[in-house]
Amino acid sequence: MEIEIITFGEIAGFLKAQQLTVNDIEDTDGLKAYLEQSFPTLANMKYKLAVNKSLIQDNTQLKRNDSVAIMPPFSGG
Amino acid sequence: MSEKKIKNIFIDGPLQPGFIADSIAKHGAKTNIGGHSIFMGQVRRDEIDGKLVSAIEYTAFEEMALEKMHEIREAIFAKYPLSCMHIHHSLGTIKAGEICLFVFTSSAHRKPAIDACTEIVERLKAELPIWGKEIFEDSTYQWKENK
Repeated sequence: MEIEIITFGEIAGFLKAQQLTVNDIEDTDGLKAYLEQSFPTLANMKYKLAVNKSLIQDNTQLKRNDSVAIMPPFSGG
Repeated sequence: MSEKKIKNIFIDGPLQPGFIADSIAKHGAKTNIGGHSIFMGQVRRDEIDGKLVSAIEYTAFEEMALEKMHEIREAIFAKYPLSCMHIHHSLGTIKAGEICLFVFTSSAHRKPAIDACTEIVERLKAELPIWGKEIFEDSTYQWKENK
């Protein structure tokens, strides 16, 4: 299935926003493991995921055309 | 969530003192207000490892930030008896000494305005997907992290 990855802040510096075709990934834990393996920098960072603009705390099932935001710690204000 | 329209809080560039003054002036007609509370965030010229911060470059996941801000706005209105609430946050490059955040709450008496203002600032910093990149005078940078 195809999902959309969007990235921000420091993470956008090494992981570009892209359409990702994943065949054996079903949930956000699977996606995190895949991304951390592909981008070792990510594995050493604190980051959060939002699926379709909602922040997620726990492992979440992914479906076709979901948009997953990969976000470093917030620093607004 | 109510049917109220989602407001845009983002402004490109620094928040000008004139803009803030106009915002205050507009409330003169609302004579049920007895107390205003204002918080302004200003870019600090921090010294980090011997280098001075010259500016912060702000970016955001705007759609998500505006939805979250709407949710916070509704929660604060439900919690405190406020007459008005105005929130503006800068995007782009904001130099040291310039204003990057303006939160303005008003109520009949002072307490709700003060408490709501504080709570909005705390929640905004913790929950809105906004990022600040601290640019040093020699053009190197580091990513800011809220304490």
